[in-house]
Amino acid sequence: MTASTEQLSIDAARTYLLARATTRDVPLEVYAQRANSTSVKAFGGEVSEFKLQARQGVGVRALVRGAWGYSFTENLSRPALDRALDDAVENAELAAPEAGAALLAWGEPPSVDLYGEGLSGVGVDQKVRVALELEQAAMNADPRVKSLPYGQYVDSDREVLIGNTQGLTRGYKALHAMVAAYPLVSEDGQNKMSGDWQFTREFTELDPTRTALSAVEKSLALLGAKPAPTGTFPAVITGECLAELLALFSPMFSGKMVEEGKSPLAGRLGQGIISPLITLVDDATLPRGLQSRAFDAEGCPSAPLTLVEGGELAAFMHNAQTAARAGVTSTGHADRMGYQGTVGVGYSNLHLQPGATPEPDLLRGLTGLKLTGVSGGHAGADPITGDFSLQAEGFWVEDGVVAHPLEVFTVAANILDLLGRVEAVGDTVEWTNWSVGAPMVRVAALAVGGS
Amino acid sequence: MTQTVGTDSLLDQALAAEVLHLARAGGADFSELFIEDSLNTTLRTLQGEVKDATGGNLFGAGLRLLYGTRVVYAYTNDVTPRGLRDLASQVARAQGGRGEVARDGAGGLDFRRVDAPPLYVARQHPLAAAKRAKLDLMRRAHGGAAGVGFVRTVDVTYLDRVQRVLVANSEGLWAEDERVYTRLIVRAIAQDGTLRETGMYGPGAARGLEFFEEKIPEEIGEEAARIANAMLHAEYAPAGKLPVVIGNEFGGVIFHEACGHILETTAVEKNASVFADKMGQKIADACVTAIDDGTIPGAWGMVNVDDEGMPAQRTVLIENGILKSFMVDRVGAMKTGYARTGSGRRQNYTFAPASRMRSTFIDNGTQTPAELIAGVKHGIYARKMGGGSVTPGTGDYNFAVNEAYLIENGEVTRPLRGASLVGNGAQDLMNIVGVAGDLSLGQGMCGSVSGSIPTDVGQPHILISEITVGGRA
Repeated sequence: MTASTEQLSIDAARTYLLARATTRDVPLEVYAQRANSTSVKAFGGEVSEFKLQARQGVGVRALVRGAWGYSFTENLSRPALDRALDDAVENAELAAPEAGAALLAWGEPPSVDLYGEGLSGVGVDQKVRVALELEQAAMNADPRVKSLPYGQYVDSDREVLIGNTQGLTRGYKALHAMVAAYPLVSEDGQNKMSGDWQFTREFTELDPTRTALSAVEKSLALLGAKPAPTGTFPAVITGECLAELLALFSPMFSGKMVEEGKSPLAGRLGQGIISPLITLVDDATLPRGLQSRAFDAEGCPSAPLTLVEGGELAAFMHNAQTAARAGVTSTGHADRMGYQGTVGVGYSNLHLQPGATPEPDLLRGLTGLKLTGVSGGHAGADPITGDFSLQAEGFWVEDGVVAHPLEVFTVAANILDLLGRVEAVGDTVEWTNWSVGAPMVRVAALAVGGS
Repeated sequence: MTQTVGTDSLLDQALAAEVLHLARAGGADFSELFIEDSLNTTLRTLQGEVKDATGGNLFGAGLRLLYGTRVVYAYTNDVTPRGLRDLASQVARAQGGRGEVARDGAGGLDFRRVDAPPLYVARQHPLAAAKRAKLDLMRRAHGGAAGVGFVRTVDVTYLDRVQRVLVANSEGLWAEDERVYTRLIVRAIAQDGTLRETGMYGPGAARGLEFFEEKIPEEIGEEAARIANAMLHAEYAPAGKLPVVIGNEFGGVIFHEACGHILETTAVEKNASVFADKMGQKIADACVTAIDDGTIPGAWGMVNVDDEGMPAQRTVLIENGILKSFMVDRVGAMKTGYARTGSGRRQNYTFAPASRMRSTFIDNGTQTPAELIAGVKHGIYARKMGGGSVTPGTGDYNFAVNEAYLIENGEVTRPLRGASLVGNGAQDLMNIVGVAGDLSLGQGMCGSVSGSIPTDVGQPHILISEITVGGRA
């Protein structure tokens, strides 16, 4: 490897790889991605960190005797691309053949504009101003704000190209800007931190002051916490918190997890699995969704998919291969973590549909818990069983009125039991930066571990 | 795949000097170039069949500028002379395009190589080993778990990574390193009717495949199966504040999450650490001595040089309860005034380095695990921990227990499922009241501001007098 080798563009790399594969008679899929991004952090009234990112690479997937072999490279010189192709073929020769493995030339995808006016003509100075304004607004909001240790502006200009030796070539561009603020607040020796964020496809829509104020408000609300009781209580769960739980348990709806015996929903299509008040949808075509895409990682066109309708399990998410094995067609949920990943199954913009109950009515008469957040899900939530036991953040509610925040405590349940106990669903969907949304719900009982 | 492991530098010295100078054209005090060429392999078997076979080549350059303590970082995959010059001009312009010449003029840099002989040299280099040999290790691990007790599903992952890096900076530092990592992870799922439980065990090392002569693949599988079976018919854990005995090896994740992260200058410098002003003070019971060590040969958290080009160190964080040192990187040293500890680490070229843990552990005490358990009337024995996380500003942390038992009248009785532990690092550190003498290290990936990096956690068995257990019973 030397630093003087010529590097191709991702488009030229795709063309080169598909031509080489055709010559060698290897069925091949190419997934190429380029992203340019800027992030700015402010601390103490000045820019503390400024990051310019330009990253690109190609991932290939070869189909040899019914088995997939993968490889990727960020070195886009011709010798490195040849090596990636060789590696993919070698890996395919090791792998077990998979029923339903095929490269397909899909129909036309829907038109989804993810680029807009966006960041064209937005200078570095403007981005820096947003980061500074974010920090200043947080610091000025209240004397109890100690600092904004985690706050930043981030944007991204991204292009994805897909091609395969069946003749498929397509691509899209997506653009976004966002701000996030997590202020540290302190009173009487107690430190608390919560936050808020804003995601937009148009730079001019960013409102850093509003995000900062909301983040401060959420953090301050946690001050004055008292020990949580231990026991089982009725509860409301905010949309943001429920969305975090849904994100953790989304693998249950994956056709891949089902066939690997890792979903508790296997074999339950058409059955009532949770409260009839709940309808769960995944829709990649939302213009303002965080994970919107006109087609999935295999190039299959996107369309909305209802996973749970009125409490009944209506569908699983599939890519081409899991669909073939389940005897259905792809739902456009082939997913990969960029060019480095392998093709799996994943949601795009997963959301629980709003219900009919205004939020104040959900709290009416409640003496119990208002759960606003959970953390530690990568370890404390098991999508194979649905069980979770998580660090929680929330408030004690006394006869419908929020009484005080609670010191660190835990909540534990099985997600399907919990969703089965939903008594009312709020009318406003809140989105999280996991690209999952939900309204507030009220549940009959939730186990709390406190002091 | 067989590949020659090259000894050529990743970059020509004259080009490096030119890029480091160009980057400082906006008036930066310091510039640093990091170049990486990494090759990795990931193989996964499910029920013994190869499900995923992948791997690839990370290849890029990162450029860091310091203006005082302000950081400008940029990276690209275009590691050509033109690409690197463009990157340097771009970062220089990002500071307003003042076009100033760096203060030390435009002359060449007289690079000095860092003299840090490797702490460990792999005998069976992953790039020299056939993939079939790696698959054999996986099949052996699968065999250790398959069909044991109620185990119905076995998922094995093999990972290796060879990361070649170059760090060059405007002070004339020139450090090159090759890091070799191998790891085998077994997940066993036990099933009995509708009951289901997962057991996971995943040791790794900064060694070649010879690691698996010591850590026998069959035994890795057996351990995953043992945990899944032990927990399958467990009752739900009680909830509330209880005394807890935490097992050795991966049990050290408690110190990692609860205290380790807030002893990194990344947290200290922002005043986002409860330990920021506690140097020299008592922050734990006298039975607690904690160390962060980058110099253990072949350990998963070992660093020959850190990602700022500084040779590894062993850093005593807490000695007999007294706070002795933070983990300090270059910017952390500038901001806090504490000396660098060789703790500047990053996942890859896409991250600027930050102060991070290496092999972090509570050192041996004088008691035995049995003595610790005997002292508990009603509590939990957390034998195997899962992962966890911490909010740096508050020190509030959580983690999952993968294998737990009830302790009644000084004896381990029934298995418990669904236990998690939550608490506050600074408080719970004071509650460690007993430390046994069976120190052992466990391996994990630690995610933070500079990405996901291999770190060891570790401890002997310890007794915490009181901690919040999140169960349901």
